[in-house]
Amino acid sequence: MAAFFDLYGFLCIMILQQALLGYSLYFPLMAGQLSLASIGFYSLGGYVAAIMGTHPAFEAWRATLGWLMIPLEWLAALLLSVVLAVAVGLPALRLRGIYLALATIAFVQVLNVVVLNMPIAGGAVGIFGIPQAFESRFAYIWFFGPLLLLTILFTLRLERSAAGRNFMAVREDELAAGAMGVRTTANKVLAFVIGCALAGVVGAMSAPFLNTWNARQGTFDAGVACLAYVLIGGSRSKWGPLLGAALLVALPEVLRPLKDSRLILNGMVLVLACVYMPRGIAGLFAGRRA
Amino acid sequence: MSRMLSVLALVLSLAVPALAENVASPIPIGFAVAQTTNVALFGQEQVNGAKIAEEYLNSLGGVNGTPIRMVYQDTGGDEAGAVNAFQNLITQGKVVGIIGPTLSQQAFAANPIADRAKVPVVGPSNTAKGIPQIGEYVGRISAPMTVVAPNSLKKALALNPKIKNVAVLFAQNDAFSASETGIFQEAIKGLGLNIVTIQRFQTTDTDFTTQVTAVLGENVDLVVISGLAADSGNLVKQLRQLGYTGIIVGGNGLNSPNMFPVCGALCQDILVAQAYSPEAAAEVNRVFVEKFTAAYKKGPAQFSAQAFAAVQVIVEALKKVEATAKKKITAMELTEVRTALNKALRTGSYVTPLGEISMNAEGEVEQKDFYVSQIKMDADGKSGKFTLLPR
Repeated sequence: MAAFFDLYGFLCIMILQQALLGYSLYFPLMAGQLSLASIGFYSLGGYVAAIMGTHPAFEAWRATLGWLMIPLEWLAALLLSVVLAVAVGLPALRLRGIYLALATIAFVQVLNVVVLNMPIAGGAVGIFGIPQAFESRFAYIWFFGPLLLLTILFTLRLERSAAGRNFMAVREDELAAGAMGVRTTANKVLAFVIGCALAGVVGAMSAPFLNTWNARQGTFDAGVACLAYVLIGGSRSKWGPLLGAALLVALPEVLRPLKDSRLILNGMVLVLACVYMPRGIAGLFAGRRA
Repeated sequence: MSRMLSVLALVLSLAVPALAENVASPIPIGFAVAQTTNVALFGQEQVNGAKIAEEYLNSLGGVNGTPIRMVYQDTGGDEAGAVNAFQNLITQGKVVGIIGPTLSQQAFAANPIADRAKVPVVGPSNTAKGIPQIGEYVGRISAPMTVVAPNSLKKALALNPKIKNVAVLFAQNDAFSASETGIFQEAIKGLGLNIVTIQRFQTTDTDFTTQVTAVLGENVDLVVISGLAADSGNLVKQLRQLGYTGIIVGGNGLNSPNMFPVCGALCQDILVAQAYSPEAAAEVNRVFVEKFTAAYKKGPAQFSAQAFAAVQVIVEALKKVEATAKKKITAMELTEVRTALNKALRTGSYVTPLGEISMNAEGEVEQKDFYVSQIKMDADGKSGKFTLLPR
């Protein structure tokens, strides 16, 4: 068993981490909003943790606070993400459909260029030598495990609460929901902010997990990968992001012995999943039950 | 049910903790670079170089008669992929040391894993500041461009002593180019020239009209570019097409034959700073170039030469380990060999295709020879070569 964790410990945690990023897109999707902004907030959260963990200006804080610095980094990332998400969300969510997706892509690009030009973020090399919370990669389950449980519990509660039902009403028909008295913009912004805040915290947790942080963490490609977790897993199911991330993150590693041809197989699985599972992996189980 | 039980038994048998074990024969050496994604442009060249090294060094008898075996693992272009590849080499590949990864950013993520597992790492292409300082087990054979950048500027001044105004352009999203431009800018100021404009671009850009217009508006006599092959090729092409006639100095990213198809005949006369030249005189380089050209029908790029050098350095250090321990590597425990190899890597010097190199106690490379070449295109404007300028 020890050998398994030595080899796949990092991968197991990667699945949880990527699933959480999937959830950060799942919340806006609950309100019918296709956003790719999460990866930008993930990158931002990582920078907050990396800067607070390594910058000399925070030396005194680190010395007095000790390990408490880590939850403080999460909190800082959370607050910054919420503020920025509201600022971005309010104007952007007046756009509909594909235009919102485009606006969020633009936001991620702008953030990347800003970060590359900020000396404090270390330019293209980024920030490295981030203080480690644990020796073993698998021990980072104490970061991502509870957060994932909390997120799933939150999703379960949200689905049954008034806010969750409002989200779904907006998703099914924005016009009708508005006519029924649902405040559509407020609900869309709320769903967007929940997702962005989650992505920010995941980023803050990921900086020590990866040892280093740079602008390559928040690229458009990574954003699309997160969206793929939700779509392959099932965008209408709360288990979708987890199932999608488990499949898409693990597959290339499990197929590693196949060398180069693993990417072909990986691609084939994606295409087949899209064609034969239009409601994602979670949709398969739902269909069987009905 | 019985099948379930047998599978369970199999899983449990695999889970028995590993006992102290000896190094396998042939001796496994890990090679983790980007064989897929857009970084594979470099990774493939590295694999090509390592393959030549494996074949050539084994034909010379490997490590005192024991052959070596390269274990290749793809890192992809991201940090997580590098960590996975390293984990795989350490626990499954049972390698004595690891060569890789391709990018400095990947090294910052993956090298601490190897350092904690006490597996020596030799970086074949990581040039960012801070790499050897990651840990005791981390070293590199790829030199930052601190020495060669000023040399190439002096060559430009020799060609045109009237140079006064310089434009600096660099790829701001590429770690190597961003640190190299810093070295260039200091060297330019050191030579008493004026930097009249600094323009940034991205390695993914194809249209450089904004940057070129800014350069042309400043009455510039020298353009210094730090970027990668494809983007710099396009940049040079557009500079020339829009009417820039002065000298162009390129950083080490332009030291690649991949430039030629991009800027074609307009590549002519670019001065390039090189950490490796196929024309370098050492005997091992002559053999390397000959074997490489025979195998791949093209000359070796710097990444291939550095990969070859990394393998060669590990093999020669393993010979030293055998000499000190007075027994065969394959008769020693894996953990013992890894520690001894790390120490041996940092002693003495190695004559490689890159010239004479050595690693200091920290793991930083000390390279003697750097080169400045000028691109000379063939008449058809499709192929060309780097012609070494006299020092």
